[in-house]
Amino acid sequence: MKIITFNQKKTSTIGLEFDELIPDEIFQWEEKDFQKYEIPIGNSRFPLKDYFDVDVVGSAESPSDVKIILNGDLTRIKYIGTKMSTGEIVANSSVDLHCGSEMSGGEITVNGNAESYAGREMTGGILTIKGNTREFCGASYIGDWRGMSGGTIMIHGSAGKQLGECLTGGEIYVKGNCDILAGIHMTKGFIQIDGDVTRWPGGQMQGGNIIINGKLSRLLEGFVDPEIITNPEIEGKQITGKYIKYVGDIARNGKGNLYLDADKNRNFL
Amino acid sequence: MEYILKNGIVYDPTNKIDGEKKDVLFKDGKIVDSVSNDAKVIDVTDKLVMAAGVDPHSHIAGPKLVVGRLYRPEDSRRGIVPKKGVTRAETGFSVPSCPATGYRYSRMGYGTVVEAAMPPLEAKHTHEEINAIPNIDVAPLPLFGNNWFILEYAKENKIDDLAAFISYWLRLVKGYGIKLVNPCGGEAWGWGMNVHGLDDPAPYFDVTSREVITALSKANEKLGLPHSIHLHPNDLGHPGNSRTTIESMKLIKDIAKNSAVRDQTVHMTHIQYHSYGGTNWRDFVSNAPDVADFINKNDYVTCDVGQITLDETTTMTADGPMEFDLHQLNGLKWANKDIELETASGIVPFIYSGRNSVHSVQWAIGLEMFLLINNPWQVFLTTDSPNAGPFIRYPRVISWLMSNKRRTEMIENREVHKAVEKKSALATIDREYDFNEIATISRSAPARAYGFTDRGHLGIGAKADIAVYNIKPNEIDPSLEYEAIEKHFGLAAYTIKDGEVLVKDGEVVKVVPSHTIWTNVKGLESQENAVIDSIMPAFNKYYTIKFENYKVHDNYIPNPIEVKVKAGQAAK
Repeated sequence: MKIITFNQKKTSTIGLEFDELIPDEIFQWEEKDFQKYEIPIGNSRFPLKDYFDVDVVGSAESPSDVKIILNGDLTRIKYIGTKMSTGEIVANSSVDLHCGSEMSGGEITVNGNAESYAGREMTGGILTIKGNTREFCGASYIGDWRGMSGGTIMIHGSAGKQLGECLTGGEIYVKGNCDILAGIHMTKGFIQIDGDVTRWPGGQMQGGNIIINGKLSRLLEGFVDPEIITNPEIEGKQITGKYIKYVGDIARNGKGNLYLDADKNRNFL
Repeated sequence: MEYILKNGIVYDPTNKIDGEKKDVLFKDGKIVDSVSNDAKVIDVTDKLVMAAGVDPHSHIAGPKLVVGRLYRPEDSRRGIVPKKGVTRAETGFSVPSCPATGYRYSRMGYGTVVEAAMPPLEAKHTHEEINAIPNIDVAPLPLFGNNWFILEYAKENKIDDLAAFISYWLRLVKGYGIKLVNPCGGEAWGWGMNVHGLDDPAPYFDVTSREVITALSKANEKLGLPHSIHLHPNDLGHPGNSRTTIESMKLIKDIAKNSAVRDQTVHMTHIQYHSYGGTNWRDFVSNAPDVADFINKNDYVTCDVGQITLDETTTMTADGPMEFDLHQLNGLKWANKDIELETASGIVPFIYSGRNSVHSVQWAIGLEMFLLINNPWQVFLTTDSPNAGPFIRYPRVISWLMSNKRRTEMIENREVHKAVEKKSALATIDREYDFNEIATISRSAPARAYGFTDRGHLGIGAKADIAVYNIKPNEIDPSLEYEAIEKHFGLAAYTIKDGEVLVKDGEVVKVVPSHTIWTNVKGLESQENAVIDSIMPAFNKYYTIKFENYKVHDNYIPNPIEVKVKAGQAAK
């Protein structure tokens, strides 16, 4: 196992782009390589050593043997773990945009909040956010109709707007609340939100499953055929509780399932 | 500047040079027969040398490209190349940015591209985009098949007036030739309908595709334009459409050719999409053998293929109703536009997959057309870029054509659906193209079909548009080394344009402005004035812009190549 620790020396007002510093790319790097490396900032590159001290301990035969630890104020560090396929990254702070976007494997843990676009279009791996995240988590990039298609996103706090937009696979768990349009345009996959949801989950969804264990403020008219079910089994997972199950969104001839906690949402019946 | 390309293996079908080891000399942008002792020598010993490529049908400039980029940002994220040396940054895969379009053609050894669909109303913008594309000469074809005035002339069989209208309009919009897309179908789409076959009349105008195709072909020959009519027939992409395709070609049989610079009187475009049998997608089969047989027996027809490349791409065409059908078929996003009195248009992303039976059979039909048409001077290399796949896949298509082994592998390894074996004859065809045939379908024959006498060959006096590839024709076995064929046709060792080295070892080393090739017909000025006077009331009534603002002024084409034609006399 090789442990690469980045200790921040100074912050930047313009975001530093970390997408080249993933286990796949740097598993054979030594400290001297980091000394030489220039990191993209805006439309230029600057020496990484101006911003981070890098300690390398151990060795790795493959990217999967690498653990990257990021310490300091990471709120202007973008693209952490973007396109990584293996290995592990631990960010001990809140992080900026695009954390874990397009990742296909490995594991990222954010011990803080993640800005918008976390886990966008990820196809595999595990992204854990111990705090909150903002808009478009697990969604598609603008224009595309294929969002996250595999892997798992675990959010211990709350999520922003359009969580799992265009979801085509994978699982998203939110322990806190969620803003509007969770699972909009989703065709497959699984979203579970334990807190309250603002409005319109599953808009134009055509498939997949959304579970809301909190209170929903507004439901779209395209969700029909409510039925009360208890302890449903969804995608091989045994869920405990009493739910109102809807099918929708019929505006798109959708056959997705939306489960609302029956006790907290009996106003919809 | 003088150069000697030394000791290359030269393929120049126009001049019947078939793999000869020889020098190619050029000076001041032209091929010459001698140079001084000061000439710079470029050693290309034993390497493949051809004229630069001529793409006879591609969509590279114009409003649909802009819409394609705007509504497919996900495509722009693919193919990103940072700026390097003389080049700007590149974006896009199926709809690349303008600079990327020029660089990518240049890297493949191409020098000329025909923009196959220019709405006259949007011609100014098309020319602006052409100006933003470097390193290639571009000839745009204005869309005439659904123009209101033309529909009227065709209905009343006023061929003289139609010829005068075309003559004037080509000058007005700086276009090269006559393009028809789903004649009458585009107009019907303005009413929410389509036409099927040749005898389904357009709403209101009560004129049929049969009448429009015939009238435009007669007008084309009356004018003696350097290119024949360029026909995207009715019923594109519909099972069973091969009947319409063959009937469309028959329409032109008795129309006499009036040009010495081309052999055909009709060019059928993206013939792959028009060679389908069956009645629906379930019994959909290839009818390529029937269509190819017709072309083999009728030398007045040329075609380009529109080969499916099995990529995620962006379809874009003036065939508006077809795009709506496609949108309904795949459920993906759809852009639609009506170009006032002239044409329709639509754009839909499409994922051609080898796992899909229909897409695989479409792939096979394209290859069948290449392999079943005997005369390579009648069939040209295209992917109808980006409709059936982006133009950067031409090297891959070449590798398929040169290697029966590769085609067989794809079928046997199930890289394509097993339906290919049941619904097409591809698996039974073992023909393999040689380098001379590749040179024919990708440069000599398209140049001939467009009447480009100054390019597509390496004869004395031709433009010094030359491609050199890191392929040793006398050593390589393309049938076995298909990967090398694809690689090297994709990255030319040298691309020379007008005598300047633009690409060296696959890298763009020089960027030059593109030229716009257009046709200027002379001799019909009085008839043109009479025609314009007669249409002006309708123009002012129905167009949303003034006639004075319609014209493409000279400043829109800073680097013109004007092809002068004397009306009624065969272009020479």
